[in-house]
Amino acid sequence: MVRLITHNLLACHAKDCNTNNFPLAFKDAQLEIREAEFNPEFLKGFLPKIEWTALVDTARQLGDTSLPLEQPEMLDDEFLKNLHHVLLEIHVEEGSMTCPNCGHVYPISNGIPNMLLAEHEIG
Amino acid sequence: MPQFLFHFAQAHNDFRLPELESIAELLGISLSWPSEFEYRDTARPFMILGLDQEEHARLLARRCILIKAVYEFYAQGSTYEELHGSNRRNQTLWKRYVENTSFRFLVTSSQHKIPQMRQREVIESFAYMGFLGKIDMKNPEIILTCFEEYDDRHGTTRAKHEGDGQFREVFFGRLLEEGSARQLIAKFDVKKRAYFGNTSMEAEISLLMANQTQASPGKLIYDPFIGTGSMSYPTSHFGAFVIGSDIDGRQMRGKQKTPGVIRAANQYGTAARIIDLATFDITRNPWRCGELFDSIVTDPPYGVRAGAKRLGRKKELPDYKKDLCLQHTLNGRPDDQPYIPPTKPYELSHLAADLVLLARYLLKPNGRLVFFLPTVTDEYEEVDIHTMLCEGMEVIANSLQDFGSWGRRLVTIKKTTQGKYSPPTFEPTREETARIPAHRDFREKYFQGFKPKADET
Ligand SMILES: C[S@@+](CC[C@H](N)C(=O)[O-])C[C@H]1O[C@@H](n2cnc3c(N)ncnc32)[C@H](O)[C@@H]1O
Ligand SMILES: [Zn+2]
Repeated sequence: MVRLITHNLLACHAKDCNTNNFPLAFKDAQLEIREAEFNPEFLKGFLPKIEWTALVDTARQLGDTSLPLEQPEMLDDEFLKNLHHVLLEIHVEEGSMTCPNCGHVYPISNGIPNMLLAEHEIG
Repeated sequence: MPQFLFHFAQAHNDFRLPELESIAELLGISLSWPSEFEYRDTARPFMILGLDQEEHARLLARRCILIKAVYEFYAQGSTYEELHGSNRRNQTLWKRYVENTSFRFLVTSSQHKIPQMRQREVIESFAYMGFLGKIDMKNPEIILTCFEEYDDRHGTTRAKHEGDGQFREVFFGRLLEEGSARQLIAKFDVKKRAYFGNTSMEAEISLLMANQTQASPGKLIYDPFIGTGSMSYPTSHFGAFVIGSDIDGRQMRGKQKTPGVIRAANQYGTAARIIDLATFDITRNPWRCGELFDSIVTDPPYGVRAGAKRLGRKKELPDYKKDLCLQHTLNGRPDDQPYIPPTKPYELSHLAADLVLLARYLLKPNGRLVFFLPTVTDEYEEVDIHTMLCEGMEVIANSLQDFGSWGRRLVTIKKTTQGKYSPPTFEPTREETARIPAHRDFREKYFQGFKPKADET
């Protein structure tokens, strides 16, 4: 935790921050790799929800280059295994996530991101 | 359709049929209910259900928390004469065991103890079945059980054997399987858990909630008020992936480095299925898009133990104070003292309606929202739940857990629409509905002991 599947679903939600507010950029990320159970049906079902470019870029920033820049049409086993690893097995335990638009910093401690907004950031 | 005799736990009766329906649907089992009302009465421990095959009864017994045992149904009657008549007519069902099957015969009852002498008499009255196999008390190939159903005594004790033989009805069948899911109640016992708190939900109810979500491998389930994670353990045990969030990170973390929810999940071997935990106010949530989850399961804060809060202030601050706050927020803070923003109360009836709107946005089509709604029993009317519904969200189950002067309802709502909806605005100002729901101001009523206010009497 924070896993990249979750990171791919979180956008900055500060007041009036509505464009260019995704993906949040990891900073000082401390990674841990933990095995998760492989479920190809889950991955296939989830694929339409993923922002592909954001996922690939983020994975590369964290040092994983196993995913192709273009989402493949054929979902073969090797691709699904790589996708599984990227989405579910890379955990960001410490560090922070910064909004590319407004610069809000969401800190991560012990694997839990603090997505709370400050008083001046809520509508 | 073959008939099966189900023996249910005498607990949470109102949850029984919704659980059966949810699990039957999950496993693709078609169920046929008894046609007469008196046999659908959940105050009774037995029910005869039609299923396509024996295997289906076994599968239900392995997953439904409220099933004690399932039997192949042979006979029933309000007297032994009727029972034997019905058993003779159903001979084709048990004929195959006559020739050469070891067996054991049990005569038992709910709510009552049958004297040994009469148990023997009853067994002898089945002599006409002519079973030739040997009687085996330890490892029989089949167990035949005859059940006498006595009326519930509501806690009053009857002298030993008093009223013996005055049963309401008697049932007879062959044991297929004891309900093994009931053992999970002990497995998930809160007191034996590595991490829990004063908001933790009791194991049996958490399991029933997990079954209402139809948790299974490959599903993604969300708890937006996850607290100490009580429902995440049974849902992940049943194979689902779980995401949780809470406005108060301390609830999920506890005092050690590894978050408490993860420590508890480790104990159950499901930590890898807890996908993530995050700290945020659900009314200010960072979800990038909707249609993410198969189910949402939650126990919203209803103000008795943990009141509902949301970011903001009860009263606006004057400008100079706002400025001070902003400076304070923007200046660096030591890591161990995260900024804790101010919060204001969140009225339960608003929260419930918001939760349904949020669920419509975040659930996939056919997804389920499973949550508790506290309610002041005397004032409750069916309309309460309907005041918080919106287009495309339908109540499919509503089970009361009765605590006497108050109760709470486990509500299951299904997203029946394929339509696309925008995220809810969580605006506190909404049109007041004609009837004020009974869960409005629940916290105040709870602390007044649910007595009408002096000026109202
Ligand atoms: C009844 S407790 C849930 C308990 C949980 N089922 C457990 O096992 O501990 C309600 C939770 O909602 C959280 N909460 C209250 N208001 C909230 C809000 N606006 N957004 C998110 N969480 C909130 C509280 O911090 C509390 O942990
Ligand atoms: Zn932003």
